[in-house]
Parts: sequence; C-alpha cells; structure tokens
Amino acid sequence: METRGKFSFPGGVHPPEGKQYSQGRPIEVIPNPKQVVVLLSQHLGAPCKPVVNKKDTVKAGQVIGSSDAFVSAAIHSPVNGTVKDITLAPHPVLGRTMAVVIDVDSSQNEPKLPVAGRFDAKFDVSKWTSEQICRAIKDAGIVGMGGAGFPARVKIEPNPAMPKTILIVNGCECEPFLTCDYRVMLEWTWQVLAGIRLTAKAAGVEKIRIGIEDNKPEAITIFNNAIETLGNEEDIQVVPVKTKYPQGGERQLIRAVWNKIVPTNSIPPVIGACVVNVATAAAIAEAVVFGNPLTHRVVSVTGRAICKPGNYYCPLGISVQELIDYCGGLTETAAKVVMGGPMMGFAIADFSTPLTKTNGGLTFLTRKEVTESKFNQTQTACIRCGRCLAACPEKLNPTKIAHAVKANKLDVAQEQYFMSACIECGCCSYVCPANIELTGYIKTGKLLVARARKKA
Amino acid sequence: MLSKITVSPAPHISQPLSTQRVMLDVLIGLAFPMAASIWFFRQYAVLLLVCSVGSCLVSEWLVNVLRKKPNSLIDLSAVVTGVILAFSLPPAAPWWVAVIGGSFAILIVKMLYGGLGYNVFNPAMAARVFLAISFGTLMTSWTVPATAKDEALKKMTAANTHATTQATAMAWSKASLKGQENAVEVSKFYRDSFFGIEGGCLGETSALAILLGGIYMLFRKTITWRIPAAVLIAAVVVASIGWLIKPAAYVNPMYHLVGGGMMLCAFFIATDPVTSPLTVKGELIFGAGVGVLIMLIRILGEYPEGVMYAVLIMNALTPLIDRATRLIPAGGKPHVQ
Repeated sequence: METRGKFSFPGGVHPPEGKQYSQGRPIEVIPNPKQVVVLLSQHLGAPCKPVVNKKDTVKAGQVIGSSDAFVSAAIHSPVNGTVKDITLAPHPVLGRTMAVVIDVDSSQNEPKLPVAGRFDAKFDVSKWTSEQICRAIKDAGIVGMGGAGFPARVKIEPNPAMPKTILIVNGCECEPFLTCDYRVMLEWTWQVLAGIRLTAKAAGVEKIRIGIEDNKPEAITIFNNAIETLGNEEDIQVVPVKTKYPQGGERQLIRAVWNKIVPTNSIPPVIGACVVNVATAAAIAEAVVFGNPLTHRVVSVTGRAICKPGNYYCPLGISVQELIDYCGGLTETAAKVVMGGPMMGFAIADFSTPLTKTNGGLTFLTRKEVTESKFNQTQTACIRCGRCLAACPEKLNPTKIAHAVKANKLDVAQEQYFMSACIECGCCSYVCPANIELTGYIKTGKLLVARARKKA
Repeated sequence: MLSKITVSPAPHISQPLSTQRVMLDVLIGLAFPMAASIWFFRQYAVLLLVCSVGSCLVSEWLVNVLRKKPNSLIDLSAVVTGVILAFSLPPAAPWWVAVIGGSFAILIVKMLYGGLGYNVFNPAMAARVFLAISFGTLMTSWTVPATAKDEALKKMTAANTHATTQATAMAWSKASLKGQENAVEVSKFYRDSFFGIEGGCLGETSALAILLGGIYMLFRKTITWRIPAAVLIAAVVVASIGWLIKPAAYVNPMYHLVGGGMMLCAFFIATDPVTSPLTVKGELIFGAGVGVLIMLIRILGEYPEGVMYAVLIMNALTPLIDRATRLIPAGGKPHVQ
C-alpha cells in the first residue's frame, strides 16, 4: 500500500522530527490531581463567564463557564469537587485570565481511558441528524484541538451562504516532538472514524480526505484498513502527505490534499472546505454518542529533559507541575518548558499554568537544545540571504515585514508586505542564519495593529 | 530550578546555521580558486592574499574598536571580501595596492554604511574600481602564469603581437574587436582559459576551479542556481549575437564565459546576498542585468573587462528591483479592510 506522501505545499521546513521520545508509548491515564484550575478562555473567541459560585459542588461534566457569543465554547468541569475560588490564573498564551479552581473530591472513581471497542465498523451515523450532531458538539464545548481552538460548532454547522463540499481531516501532526494525534489515530481508530463520519454528516460534505504525514506509515495503514472494512458507502480516503512543517496548518493541508488555495485573511469555508483535527473528531464522537463534554484530552509529554515521556489522558485544568511530577520530574539539563511543540508552542516559566483544550503537548528542551537554538545567541544583522522567503509557506517576505515592524512602520508591513497573511508558523525564524526572531517581530506587529485598531 | 528556565517566543528550535557558517562555506568554495591561484602565481598570490585579507580584518577591527561595537570579525565576512578583492587584482600588483584596496573596501564601502548587511555596494568590487582609477598602470600589467607550458606561451606570443602588455583573455577579445587579432584564432584558446593557463587577475584565471567552488556552494545551499545561471545565460546570449554575425571580430561565447572575471562574478561576486535582491524574480533580473552589462562593456565599452562596473550598477538597482518584484501572498492580495 502506498504510504509515501506525494502531496505537499510550496515552502516550509523539515526540522528534526523528535518523535522518538513518545511515539512508542501507549496512551496512559493520569490519576485525578488534588486540584484543577479550569481556565475560562480555552478557545478562539469570547471568553466564558463563570456560571458557578464559590463553594458550589460541581459534578464531572457540569457546565462551569459559558458565553452567549456565537464564537465561543462552553467549559465543563472534568471532575467532581467543590469550587474553591474563581480567580485569575496563569494562561499559557494570554498572561493571566479568569479560571475556576476546583478542589477534587477524592472519593470519586479514578478516571478511565475511553474503552476501545465502543466504536467499530458497524457504527451507524444515520441515527443522528445534522442538527442533533451540531447541538451535541456545541453542548460539549468542543473546539479545534490542533492548536487554534476555533469553536468546532461554528466550523462545522452548515451555512447556506457557504456550502461545504469537502471535509479534510488533519492527521499530519507536523509539529516536531508531539505524538498525541498519532497515538489517538493508532489506538482510537474507530472512534476517530466515527467522529469523522458524524462531522461529515453534520457539515453536509460530499467527500472526506484524511491527510496523514508519511512519517506515520502505521497510521496510514491502519486507517486504510479501517476504511476498507467500512465498505464504499462514503467517499472517504487517506491522503499520505509529505513530512514537512507546517503540513498540518489548515491552509497548507487544504493546498496539499485538495490543491486549492484559501484566499488571504479568509477561512476555509469560503472555498467549501472544513478542516478538523483527529483529536477533535474523537471528541465529537464522544460527545454525540455518549454526551460527554470535552473535559479530557491526550497530551504528549515529551523531550529529552523529562524523565518519563509519554502520551497521557489528562483532565483539562491539571497543572504543568503535576504532569511533571507524574512523569518522574525534570532531568538536570532541563532549560525550557514549552506548552505545545517546539515550533509554535509557548515557553512558560510558571509551572502552575493549567492545561487547555488546545494543548497537545508539553515539550521539555535541554540546555544543549536551547543553546544550540539561535535564540540564545546574539542576533546579528540581516544578510538578505532570502532563506526566510524560500521557507515561508504563505509566500511572504518575512525579513521586510520584521524590519518594517522594528522601524515602527506598520503601514509598510501591512500594505506593502501583507503582514496579516502570516500564519505565524515560525519557519522564517527557524531558518534565519542571523538569529533574527522574525516570527516574534511579525506577531508583535500584528498585535500593535490590532491595538491601534481598537483605539480608533 | 525556575531560574534556569528560559522563556522566548516560538519557535524554540532552529536550523544549525549561522552567518558565520554561511561565510565559512563561501570561503571553502573560494578555496578551490585560491589553490589554483597559488599554483599558478606562487609567491605573488600568497603575498596579495595575505595583504588583502589582513588589511580587511585590521580595518574592520579598527572600526569596531572606534565605534565601541562588538567584535564582528568572527562572522568571517571581512575574510571573504579580502579574498575576492585579492582575486580581482593583477598578480604582479604591489602589496600596498592590496592593503589600500582592502582598507577602502572595509572602511568606506562596508563599515561606513553600517557593516555587514547594510552595505549597498559589493565592497570588493567598489575597492577594485577605486584601485583601477587610482593606479591605472599597475592594475593592468599582467603576468603569465608560472606554470604556463612553453608550448602555450609560444602560441600566445604567436597569436598576439602585444603579448607583453595585453596577455589577458579579455584584452585579446578587445584586440579582435579592433581588428588587431582574428577572433577565430583567439577563440581557440578557450581551453587554456578554462583550466587557467593564461594571464589575468589572480583568482579569475581558472574557470574550472571556480566552477568546483561554485558547485560546492550550490551543494551546501549557500547560493542558489538563480543568479549564476542568469548571469551566464544572459552573457552567452549577448555574446552569441555578435559571434553569429561576425565570428572574425567577435570571439566565441565560450571564450567569454571562461575568460576574465565572468565565472568568479557569476558564482562568488554577484551572489553576495547583501547586495543582491531578495526575491526569486529579483535575483533572475539582477543576474541577467549583470550578465548583459558585462558583455556590453566588453564589446562596446572602452575597457576590456566589465565585471566590477556591471556588479556595482546592478547593486545600485537592487532596492528598486526588490520593490518592483514585491511578493504577492500565496492566497492573493488581502481585500482592503
């Protein structure tokens, strides 16, 4: 069977994959911590407002935060317990945001892995209507679990103005080190497939394509076999794509799998595509079939600087420190803790930061890896070598944008070099021989533009 | 524990590549023609290389000290400038010419503009022009390579009555244009030019050695194929026009390719990232411009060789080319917000 990825996009980079630390470790369940801190901002869009009060008793799966905004997703408690406080807590990206602190009731049963065998080839999607599926997704507070955290319901719900024709499932996991999606694909194949089929039904698409990078031949094979068992009822195919970063960026994946380009500053539905991650598909199956909200997810704890790397099924709200303790602690050489993968993740210093819905990994980098990385070295002048232009998957001119931002010429950065088209993948910074943090400058520039717009 | 943890923007890993490594690769590429130049010109080559590189390094160090800037010598760019400058000097040039050239290249052309990355003109080429203007006679006296076989020398003298003063390939080509030589006869020597058994600038004589260095840099991805290919193709096209019309006056395009500074320019001078455009289209335009200008100067100009002027003119146009070839994002221009 063909597992070589012929499909790809122009640009991009190929960093060392680093999957060896955790790809062989089966998903393992983490016992309940003593306390969880559930952030009320775990998605793109309006943050939730708490709907519980201090000292309230909460049950696992109970809504603890919600919002009336269209682009938002409800937040649920992952455990039985008592609300200890509603307060500011460290957020991996946003600094400090509101969170519900829950003391976990120690008498409850320990969490169990979703049992394999609940889903199989006989799974019948005709039991649910599109509306029922969309409602279940909304009620479960499901968001895109690949990283951006766009509320899944908004993405999937049919929109007469923009009919969707294709569902592209993202099983690339192009981010180095992370293996959570890979393990989910291997171990929860039928659940993922059920979620994919439910999503396709809800979105009303004609065909389904599952993009998987060719460095995961086992995942490609297992899905191909499963689809074969399924029969030919739906137009569903696995597309092996080239192992290249950012192959799993939705714009890049659409280009690789479907050979269509999403217009700049636009979203996939505009051209009739819907992209969901494999972990999101698994969560959708869980929500639609069993009514379970999104309160747990698989997280890769990986890197050379953690004693026991692996893939863990964790409650959302568990702190980084607790995960570190469970995984045997940091090694002597630990120098950087990244929430997410090394290309797009966020480095944190406060280990009380809790896990969120979008967080697929914790990467622990060693002193050596950090020193070898350019950001510990002096930044020198741009030698105009053009490597960032060649690496940019969106065909931008990163060095010109970064230098315009540095010179505070935001209009030049936007109007001449189209800063807003940047997807912040980090390829330009990765290749820069002068150690310039191009992505950092561009992100800053976008923030400054957003701030100026708010003021105006 | 916490104090040892670093925080910085993503990405947290990077390609093990530095400016220093890029320059080192250029130097490794330059080692091929350097070996050829030392083989052909012996002590002359060593002396000029040492003086040129030495003066570049001392000048850069001096500016760093005066401006209280961190030491920039380790990026090796000054060494690259020094080597290329030495390569473009006549082998018999006195040592102090190299010292003056190196100092001018670094002090005036590079550091006054702000150092590596900010210079508008290729420092070695600007210094070469400065020297050509200041020391006209010294810069046009050529030596026959130490290894030239008697046989080849005889051929040279037989074919060229002005051998002692005009021994370079490009001088012969010029003489043909003026009707003093037969271009068909001159063109027969392109093989000697390819291996480097001819008179000419220190590092420019052996096209073969330069090609090997260029291939190394292409292999290491230090340069792309775009600028060298554009320079060479454009030059061949222009050279072919004359050659096809009147082969007795215009030498074979092959002769133009391997003779003079064409090869060194295509692989090592025009490819200087700082002074060439950023975009793919821009690089092609820049390379083609350099190739065409070299040939126009060689054929229509008063000088036998045009590399330095061609490169400087295109350097000046680089910002305009960059602006004219601005990239459109993959998803098209964003709608006006």
